[in-house]
Amino acid sequence: MDFSLTEEQEMFRGHIRKMLDKFGGTQVARDMIDNNPESLKKVYSTLAELGCSGINIPEEYDGMDLDALDLVPTFEEMGRSLVPGLFMETSALAVPILKKYGTDEQKQNYLPGVATGEKLISFAALEPFNDFSPAGIQCELAQKDGQWLLNGTKTLVPEAELADAFLLLVRTNKEHTEDGLTLVLIDKTDALTIESQSSFDEAKHVAKIEFTNLVITPEQIIGEVDKGWEQLQEGLLYFNAALSSYIVGAMENVVNMATEYAKIREQFGQAIGRFQAIKHSIVNMKVNLEIARSLSHYANWVVDTDEFDREAAVYSARTYATEKFIEVSAHNIQIHGGIGFTEEIDCHLFVKRARYYNQYLGSTSFYQEKVVSSLGW
Amino acid sequence: MDFSFTKKEEKFRTELRTWLETNLPEGWLEGKRDLPEDLDEYSRVLRAWQNKLYEGGWAAIAWPKEYGGKDASLMEEIIYHQEMVRVKAPPLINYIGIHMVGPTLIDIGTDEQKERYLKNILTGEEIWCQGYSEPGAGSDLTGLKTRAVKDGDSDRWLINGQKVWTSFGHVADKCFLLTRTSNHPEKKHRGITVFMMDMHQTGVETLPIVQMDGHKDFNEVYMTDAVATDADVVGQVDSGWHVLIALMLHERTGIGAELFTLEKQFNDTVELTQQYKVNGKPLIEDPAIRQRLANFYARVRGSLLNYYKNLTTTIKNGQPGAETSIDKLVVTELNQALSAFAVEIQGHQGVLWDKDAVADPKWQHLFLASFGQTIGGGTSEVQRNTIGERVLGLPKDMGR
Repeated sequence: MDFSLTEEQEMFRGHIRKMLDKFGGTQVARDMIDNNPESLKKVYSTLAELGCSGINIPEEYDGMDLDALDLVPTFEEMGRSLVPGLFMETSALAVPILKKYGTDEQKQNYLPGVATGEKLISFAALEPFNDFSPAGIQCELAQKDGQWLLNGTKTLVPEAELADAFLLLVRTNKEHTEDGLTLVLIDKTDALTIESQSSFDEAKHVAKIEFTNLVITPEQIIGEVDKGWEQLQEGLLYFNAALSSYIVGAMENVVNMATEYAKIREQFGQAIGRFQAIKHSIVNMKVNLEIARSLSHYANWVVDTDEFDREAAVYSARTYATEKFIEVSAHNIQIHGGIGFTEEIDCHLFVKRARYYNQYLGSTSFYQEKVVSSLGW
Repeated sequence: MDFSFTKKEEKFRTELRTWLETNLPEGWLEGKRDLPEDLDEYSRVLRAWQNKLYEGGWAAIAWPKEYGGKDASLMEEIIYHQEMVRVKAPPLINYIGIHMVGPTLIDIGTDEQKERYLKNILTGEEIWCQGYSEPGAGSDLTGLKTRAVKDGDSDRWLINGQKVWTSFGHVADKCFLLTRTSNHPEKKHRGITVFMMDMHQTGVETLPIVQMDGHKDFNEVYMTDAVATDADVVGQVDSGWHVLIALMLHERTGIGAELFTLEKQFNDTVELTQQYKVNGKPLIEDPAIRQRLANFYARVRGSLLNYYKNLTTTIKNGQPGAETSIDKLVVTELNQALSAFAVEIQGHQGVLWDKDAVADPKWQHLFLASFGQTIGGGTSEVQRNTIGERVLGLPKDMGR
């Protein structure tokens, strides 16, 4: 038994960390807050040069054909610096779905472009006043005069302005309550009405997209019609494994911030880290981090196997990570005291991202139910 | 990353499993697992079990072959614990001898000491306890006041003082005893000496402590001019603290056994929610219960995986690091939460005790016992200090 990342994977992590540090770490996220995506674009092209975007793409589509586990260092390091953008939606959601359900032509159209970093794919699922569930998807794709026409509104679409394409989850069957949805992959064109929305986490840009009689060709439909929700689950497995890694990287940075601050901040004539009230709070953060890391490493291993606990492992990694991310980033503010409440210090960036991901593509209770039912309980 | 076992490890597992199936007490596998209440009878049965393990070569698998062990790897120790938990094997009455005293003697004992003690540890002929805590020395063990004083020019030492929370004290033949042999108020870790003291002598009196769960697992041990000799000193006089640290490094896989037990208990809890009904519906159909099960699942699996992660580091580095304190902290606190949950979901019948309790295992016992786990072997607070200072590098508080 060996439950650790390989030396190569750890070495690769070193390269990415060095690169992101050169960009100033969280400065990339701060630039996005200022609506300046230039440094993010540079980070993404450097990630592509390092090969990150091709890691899980098959060789015939110009990738390296490696596993989810090989992406772990990339996601953890991106999380450490809170790098925003569409890397996860592209590599860990769209790519696994395309690999499993895409036609040769669809793969040829998208995968080589993803591998080189030229194509970023966003995911549009949510709709106004609706939830992330089959019943919550009402955007309608219907056939009229031999043509598929799309009508409706999608909200909270991440980084729509940077996307080259959108994976859409739409309704094709009104009778079918458990599914009746279909996955569609469209390129971004001027025909789309994209309107940005303000986000609580300003480093994560979100937008509303309206579709009015948009013509969808059969070549844009991924997999089977009316089975979109079922097919999406494959993508959600990889996405949540990746998300748990991203969060582990972010949590590691948070624990490190709190620890280093407690060593240098003095009150009552001594470093506050000497006080057990502070020390034990940081230790609890550290313990949460290590458990989250162990769950997430296992999740990224198991997702490429057919072990019985594949789903349970991934979804428990997701719920544990998203819940504890909120907790540790909140404690981090408390340990910093007044300075932690300011815009200047990074503490707030983490608590906002923690909240963003906690309710992204399903809630804690949504995934907890998946854990229990996947085990047959 | 690799979660498979090697052929050699699988063979080890099969051998042990086969051996257990033929050698466990009669009816044990079928559920006849009650141990005698009478202390002498209890001790006789468990000594016999220990001797059977010895004869089968399974008493101390981690010891070197030349001392009667199997030179087992860490993974084989893990498999050993998994298999023992699987069959709910009888407790090892000489746990302290096998896992702590023996390996320490092999490490730093004299040839005479090895010759004199090791085999009797294996066979169960001599059961060991350890004399650490005192009424005034709990988390701060350096506060110990039990004194050992040289008796003139002889090779004898006279020991006076009191120990408390001595596990197995009532059945032990020997005590691995921490005493103060000189005073160093500024450096209290100095001046401590470890003796191997005979428990069967007039100067030693043992009194059981009745615990909150009615058990008597611990004892007070009073020493009044108890005698030990130069030959009974482990390591050097006044350097017992080093002996203690060496001993702790040998406690390699005990937490693993606790985690495997926890995992089993979690599965038992899930069964409980399938059996119990509220208003005619199985509890497990209640969304609130399902959320809590998912939460426990994540924590139990996370703790186990984290243990495997630390074990991998231990295998690579040759010895455990301070991060293993995380495992101890997590498994004991989780144990407390899980047994509380298991009692809670039984409704008011959850208060039925012992023979009237409705579920197996006896969750009421486990619930009460769980309060001892976050105290014994270093309290949760001490574990948090260790993690804070030795893993995160935070400064010590000024009192220490």
